[in-house]
Amino acid sequence: MTTRTRRRSPLATESRWAWLFLAPTLIGLAVLSAGPIIAALGISLTKWDLLTAPRFVGLDNFGALLADKRFLISLRNTAFYVATSVPLGIALGLGLALVLNQRLRGISWIRTAYFLPVVTSTVAISLVWSWIYSPDRGPLNGVLGAIGIPAQRWISDPFWAMPSIVIMSVWQGLGTTVIIFLAGLQGIPQEYYDAASVDGAGVRARFRYVTLPLLTPSIFFTGVLALIDSFQVFDQVYVLARPGKATEATVTLVYTIYENGFQNFKMGYAAAEAWILFLIVAVLTIIYFRLQNRWVHYQ
Amino acid sequence: MIRTRADRNVAALAVGLSLILAACGGSNASPSAPAASSAASPSAEASTGGSIAPSASAYAPPAYAGPEATIEYAIWGDPTELKNQQAIVDAFHAAEPKITVKVTVSDWDTYWDKLQTGLAGGAAPDVFAMDGPLFPDYAGRDVFLDLTPYIQGEGYPLTSLNALAVKDFTTADGKQLGLPRDLNVIALFYNKDLFDKAGVPYPDDTWDWAKLIEVGKKLTIDTNKDGKIDQWGLYTETTDMENYWSSLVWQNGGDILAPDGKSIVLDQPAATGGLQHLQDLIWKDKIVPDPALFAETGDAFEQGKAAMEANGSWLVATDEAAGLKFGIAPLPKGPAGQATSVNPTGAVVSKGTKSPDAAWAFVRYLASPAAQEKIMALKASLPVNTEVLTGRFATSFDGAKVLADALGYAHLKPSFKGYNEFATALQNELDEHVFNAPDETAAEAVAKVKDQLNTILAGQ
Repeated sequence: MTTRTRRRSPLATESRWAWLFLAPTLIGLAVLSAGPIIAALGISLTKWDLLTAPRFVGLDNFGALLADKRFLISLRNTAFYVATSVPLGIALGLGLALVLNQRLRGISWIRTAYFLPVVTSTVAISLVWSWIYSPDRGPLNGVLGAIGIPAQRWISDPFWAMPSIVIMSVWQGLGTTVIIFLAGLQGIPQEYYDAASVDGAGVRARFRYVTLPLLTPSIFFTGVLALIDSFQVFDQVYVLARPGKATEATVTLVYTIYENGFQNFKMGYAAAEAWILFLIVAVLTIIYFRLQNRWVHYQ
Repeated sequence: MIRTRADRNVAALAVGLSLILAACGGSNASPSAPAASSAASPSAEASTGGSIAPSASAYAPPAYAGPEATIEYAIWGDPTELKNQQAIVDAFHAAEPKITVKVTVSDWDTYWDKLQTGLAGGAAPDVFAMDGPLFPDYAGRDVFLDLTPYIQGEGYPLTSLNALAVKDFTTADGKQLGLPRDLNVIALFYNKDLFDKAGVPYPDDTWDWAKLIEVGKKLTIDTNKDGKIDQWGLYTETTDMENYWSSLVWQNGGDILAPDGKSIVLDQPAATGGLQHLQDLIWKDKIVPDPALFAETGDAFEQGKAAMEANGSWLVATDEAAGLKFGIAPLPKGPAGQATSVNPTGAVVSKGTKSPDAAWAFVRYLASPAAQEKIMALKASLPVNTEVLTGRFATSFDGAKVLADALGYAHLKPSFKGYNEFATALQNELDEHVFNAPDETAAEAVAKVKDQLNTILAGQ
């Protein structure tokens, strides 16, 4: 009969504690993310210059965006940035993690060095890279010149401008990817490798049939982070495009949001752009999650 | 909007010593000799018949009589300017002990972001610096306090300030929503050492486009014979109309907007001819470096790698700091004569200020001779007070008079609602296809963006 006094199962108690511990994050998300996202939807239906009263215009902003050349160009540039920087970042991060996953003297120093760019301000990094890319005296053209490749204009050359930004961003983000992959690699039990070796698997086969499958959760995770993050590319463009502004070759979606909202007095228009960005990222992320059953193996 | 690094640093100056002002006020308090001063305006001269009409010299600003007030004054600029501002504000406080001014400083980009959100959120500074071309965008949204009642009530002599600079802060219906604080004008800077070394006479007011090319070619030199140019004839910045190209358009008899401001006339041959001249200087005559070469490393003239530079008066301070031996000449004349560009910075009062009288007293002070002499000392911009401009400023350094005289043939930098969006669209096309790479002629490029620009103008 004493059991009657226990009105809740252990699981229910546990879930109450779970909610309690999640509360700060959930409240933060609701107030600081969900609130502004919904408010932005409201603003996107208005013509608003921030300083005078907003005027309801329905879906006009979205209609105008479809005919806005700079917006469409920024969409194209952002797509290029995502499509190149995400796979490149993952591939290089994986390769580097494999190299750094060794027992060498001073390996932790080397790992730290690769992580440094992650904790460095993007503005500082962009300024250094703008020097690296300098056509006249930049070290990049210096090195290429030494092996006989003619000097490029990099940032100011419409063809090289976006790839230059991609290269810099991949370099900067490599540390995060490497850390996640290193953790993933070290979570793979040595027994699997031993068993594979006994079965006659070489280095390649062990990578292909042990490392890679067991690393798919890490690849999946970095993929989500990189996907969402790369759609929001802004500061690299903002700094590298100075002096002057982001050109047709470099303007990205978030850059035009900033430009329209804070420089052109078109906050409603900028909010509509922000919502389009939100929808694109949300849809792609959902698709990405749906597809995970096909290739992600949890142990 | 796009401005140069230097320009961003510059415009934050202004303000002066109020003890002097108070002294002036005292001695000139009796309007016995109106219009006697050399700085008196035409209208003041017309009133010489012993009337009490205000003239520049007779005007004595009334002392602030309101309650104790603390006002915030926001500027863009760098630490040097902040230090300068603080000294000026302290002097103002000494003269008007009931008013305390707090200066807040931001870099150029942050300044505008903060200002907009501050105005939207009801937390704007009481007094803030305003860039000429951006003024209409804010004025049109009713965020400034109208200063006309103060000006009329006190008989404040607007004529004591440079007329172009005053006009930039006047609305179409004649309201004065701000006072100019300082201004910058475009001229030709030349490196005396490089001219002497080549044995070429310095530029002067007889120069025209052809002469610039002729001398520019002599001074464009591959010093070490490696096939790469080491010294350029002329350096300029192409990313904003102010630095050089608007002056070239005007010198060629063209203009940017139609007089009513509703459409562009930049597509007309006289205007595109000016733009074309700049493209030719870079890609045909090759006396100006490809803009990409110095995009990351900054001003070639300042580094001693260009014999001349067409750019703004803010360069005086930076070139002196760089230790250059330089002179200043008017821009070379174009087929339609002489022209240059002037861009004033003003001080405006937020409509929501709790202390409008104190704010006005401070704005007025910024334009006073005492404050203006302080601006002058920084050599990063010109004073707007004509008495200071034609008097002490004109003799304060070699070339100062050339800059002051340039105001006589200067055009105001275009200033209209939607300026930023307009300039971005136009400049994108010009940078990418005209200046950074000669893919298109100037006429082709402007024709391509004409409809887009006119739509932006119509949408305001």
